[in-house]
Amino acid sequence: MATDHYPHMPPINWPSVFFLFFAITACAFAVAVVVTGNIVRMACYLVVSLSAVAGLFFLAGAEFLGAAQLLVYVGGTMVLLVFGVMLTAQGPFVSMRTGGGQWVMALLIVCALAVILISVSTIVPAWNKPLPANEKPVASTASESARLGMGLLGLRTERLESPPDPAAGGMSGYLLMFEIISVHLLVVLIGAAYLARARRRKDEG
Amino acid sequence: MELLTQPIGLSHYLVVSALLFVCGVACMATKRNLLGVLMGIELVLSGANLNFVAFGSPYLQSKSLGMDGQMIALFVIVLAAAEAAVALAIALNYYHTHATVDVDKADELKG
Amino acid sequence: MDTLPLLLGTAWLLPLASFALILLFGSRMGKAGRGAGFVATAAIVAAFVLSATALTVWLSAHPIEAPAGHSSATADSAEHGAAAKENHAADTHASAGETTAAKKIIPPVAGDWYELGAFGTKRITIGYYIDALTIAMFFMVTMVASCIHIYSFGYMHEELSEVTDHQVTLASGQHLHRRGRFHRFYQYLSLFCFSMLGLVIAGNIAMVFVFWELVGICSYFLIGFYIERKSASNAANKAFIVNRVGDFGMIIGLMAVWTGMGTFSFGDYEMKDAQGRETMRPGIFSQARPAGNDFQLQAPDGMVKFAKRDEIAEIVQKSENAADAELQIEKRIDGWRKDGFGYGWLIVAGLGIFCGCVGKSAQFPLHVWLPDAMEGPTPVSALIHAATMVAAGVYLVGRFYPVFTPEVLMVIAYIGCITLFIAATMALVATDIKRVLAFSTVSQLGYMMLALGFGGWLAGIFHLFTHAFFKALLFLCSGSVIHATHTNEMPRMGGLLKKMPYTGITMLIGCLAIAGAGIPWIIGLSGYYSKDFIIAQGLVYQHANPLHGWLFYFSVAGAGMTSFYMFRLWYMTFLGTPRDKHVYDHAHESTPSMLVPLVILAVMSVISGWKVPFTNLELPALLTQAIPSGTEEGAVSNLTKFYIPAEHLSHESGVHFFATGIAFLMALLGFVLATAFYGTKRLDPNDARRTFATLYRIFIHKWYFDEAYQKIFVRPALAISGWIAWLDKNGLDWIADNSARLMGLCARLDDWFDRKFVDRLIDLVAAGTYRLGIRLKALQTGSLRQYVMLLAVGLAALFMIMNFYWNFAMSKM
Repeated sequence: MATDHYPHMPPINWPSVFFLFFAITACAFAVAVVVTGNIVRMACYLVVSLSAVAGLFFLAGAEFLGAAQLLVYVGGTMVLLVFGVMLTAQGPFVSMRTGGGQWVMALLIVCALAVILISVSTIVPAWNKPLPANEKPVASTASESARLGMGLLGLRTERLESPPDPAAGGMSGYLLMFEIISVHLLVVLIGAAYLARARRRKDEG
Repeated sequence: MELLTQPIGLSHYLVVSALLFVCGVACMATKRNLLGVLMGIELVLSGANLNFVAFGSPYLQSKSLGMDGQMIALFVIVLAAAEAAVALAIALNYYHTHATVDVDKADELKG
Repeated sequence: MDTLPLLLGTAWLLPLASFALILLFGSRMGKAGRGAGFVATAAIVAAFVLSATALTVWLSAHPIEAPAGHSSATADSAEHGAAAKENHAADTHASAGETTAAKKIIPPVAGDWYELGAFGTKRITIGYYIDALTIAMFFMVTMVASCIHIYSFGYMHEELSEVTDHQVTLASGQHLHRRGRFHRFYQYLSLFCFSMLGLVIAGNIAMVFVFWELVGICSYFLIGFYIERKSASNAANKAFIVNRVGDFGMIIGLMAVWTGMGTFSFGDYEMKDAQGRETMRPGIFSQARPAGNDFQLQAPDGMVKFAKRDEIAEIVQKSENAADAELQIEKRIDGWRKDGFGYGWLIVAGLGIFCGCVGKSAQFPLHVWLPDAMEGPTPVSALIHAATMVAAGVYLVGRFYPVFTPEVLMVIAYIGCITLFIAATMALVATDIKRVLAFSTVSQLGYMMLALGFGGWLAGIFHLFTHAFFKALLFLCSGSVIHATHTNEMPRMGGLLKKMPYTGITMLIGCLAIAGAGIPWIIGLSGYYSKDFIIAQGLVYQHANPLHGWLFYFSVAGAGMTSFYMFRLWYMTFLGTPRDKHVYDHAHESTPSMLVPLVILAVMSVISGWKVPFTNLELPALLTQAIPSGTEEGAVSNLTKFYIPAEHLSHESGVHFFATGIAFLMALLGFVLATAFYGTKRLDPNDARRTFATLYRIFIHKWYFDEAYQKIFVRPALAISGWIAWLDKNGLDWIADNSARLMGLCARLDDWFDRKFVDRLIDLVAAGTYRLGIRLKALQTGSLRQYVMLLAVGLAALFMIMNFYWNFAMSKM
């Protein structure tokens, strides 16, 4: 193995490598989205960025969420966005450039915000260190998605294993929220369809 | 090099999500195209989601949020999709009436 | 005796019902309200029938004993079985050594119909007090009123259609045309009858006062019946205002009675005391003349206590309890009374009541209103201003007679005498036929007052009745003449006997009656008897009080003057040659509706002094039943040492014989003089006028009373009113104007302050809010990206602040 060649070097931790890869990709393309002026390119860069975030989800142990991210964002939302881009094509002479002053202003504020957020992210010492090996959880046999499904149906299966923590809010699940979200989605779809339906202008008629 | 050999901690995720968030805000603040603004929102939401997931991950913290983090992230994704749909519908409507998607033109309600 | 109040009460209320009917439906009763006359006449005739029934009821209950004769009407009445109490009274009289003749006391029928109000033991009621006087008054009033109601059908027939009043000239030069007021006339007549009967039946002095004022207002309405004539409205006002003067005195008398006696009631009355037992409480008469004191006048306890109130207060303060104090007061009260305490209040009460009578009966010095009151229609003059209302004053003096002290009676006598003489002199020279009669009325009322003041209760009241008949007759005759000739002036008449024989004859009967004609000592007309009574009483009075003897001579002179002016009137009107051809040609005899009452009244004038054949019934005997107990024996004034002689003394045959002779001689003298001047024209009245020019001037100007009152009262009143008006205009108005102006100034100041400060403040607040809104508006840029930037800035700021105040260590806590 390669580790033998570099005895002074600990072996490469592949999850960390993948994390770096996905993190850099996500951040880089996010910056690209900000910087580019072409709307189509923006959409493309966004797709890459969001996909990288999905990869990060996988690394964090949220497989179902990563899949959902890929499906909903990359597959659904981005297609929608691209459709929107195409439907609202600008005329050739319309310029929507932002002024330099505004750019400087935005960057200043954003940089300040970034500094603050990053400093806050690293301020807690426990967060900086990786989890000790003995506290690493044993990989669960039950699939993550099954647990989520049960949670949505109102059953917290992961709590069955550990003794119930009174501060953790008991065994209640997310059934009500799930229902609300379902109805909300229905309403939103109908509303969006209504709003976006093709209408003749009055003066045309 | 430590990054490659050591398991990563929670802070790394948080830094990434902060960068994504900041990029999203910058996108919203600088783009005049309505769709660009929407993309910024997607970035912001994505960053926030990453935060939830990181806090809910059992691999990064001994006492994590657990299933709650993922669950909230899931809802956020769904709501973001819904938001995108409605926002696009609004954008189309706006385009229909004003023949443009420039947010700077949409200042009819200014004082 | 419950029938009497019922009968008389019904008779009293019938005219009120008629009044109400006419008031409501008068103008719709037949053509021009002719039906109103029938309604009113029916009511008063029914009242007359009821009164006559009441008279028979009374006479059956109290038959008149056969008198020994005129000269000693009451002398032997003690023989006829009297109640034990009266016997006792007679005994005490006898033991006192007086020449006495105990009269059978007939208790009056007194009671209350309705209680208006009670104040502790005091109360005011609507009640009745019925004795022979009340019954006789009812009979007389309803009879005269009935005659006058019938007479008015003829006299007032002009009022049935449109009336042209020739005495009123409008500004346009035309005479006034107006609608007839036939029903209005009868409406007032009915109201008057109701008021007059109420005045007579009244059971207490308060009720008397109420009806006193009611007859006054009726008089006011009827004097001013021809309201469009200035003279009529002035006369109405004058009558009303002059009467107010008298009524003021009457109110003082009422207050004295109320304070001193604690009741207004004439007779005794039942009342529940604190324990709820029915007890008899003494009325005015019982208090003034208690049975325990042989009905002799004494100051009532209340007046004595009032006079000694300071001492009583002292006693009450010193004694331990109320009962003890009361006992002490009871012990001393007789002593106080003997010392004359409280007597003064009795005089005040008597004089006060008499003041009212002076006003109502047109006595000196308030006689001035009656001649002017002749502006009313003649039937009104006959009914109100001759027969009934003006006699109400005499009636009230008669009714209140037991309470009058000798001193008050002396005042009454003097006032009556002055009135009688002055009025008679005015009548001598007056030429207006109605005014002659008016002066005559005043004079005769003076006679009545004089008689009452002489102590001749029977004489005065008897003359009231006979006078009512013949004076009503005379007025109605004069009305008939006026109706025929359309003038009041006697110099324009003359020789009317041929044209108006009935009127002439009946008027002659009236003149004879008032003059007191008759065959001396045998028989005569009604005036003969009543005037004899008065002269006889005067004779006795003069005998008892030589100091006041001139009152008698004046009354005798008055009798002669009465005869003179009455025959002067008759001669000038009916005999001689017509002085005004036009008047004479137009004159005609009146309609039967006017003549029938004349005949009835003429008959009454003749016979009202006579005895009804085969019975003992005669008017004086009936009235004798009503003589107030204790007044028969006369009285002695302790203050001024004069005597009110007992009335029966005047009925002694010697006195009466002499009096009849004097009265007849005087009447004859007057008649002869009148005949000489106006009948046979042997003497020329103008000669006499020239000879006594000064006297004539005084008489024709009515002794200058009107002028004097004009100068003394009316002018100063007008002047004071003028000053007050001036003060009002220049003083009070100035204050009012300036205070108003000040208020305006204050208001303007306030307005200025409001605008400058209050409004300004509010404006400033509003403007500030507006400007703030305008400023804040700029924040709403509508730029989406700007909002995002602000959000980011806010977020950053939030984190900074949290970083500042919050540290990691705190999160672990």
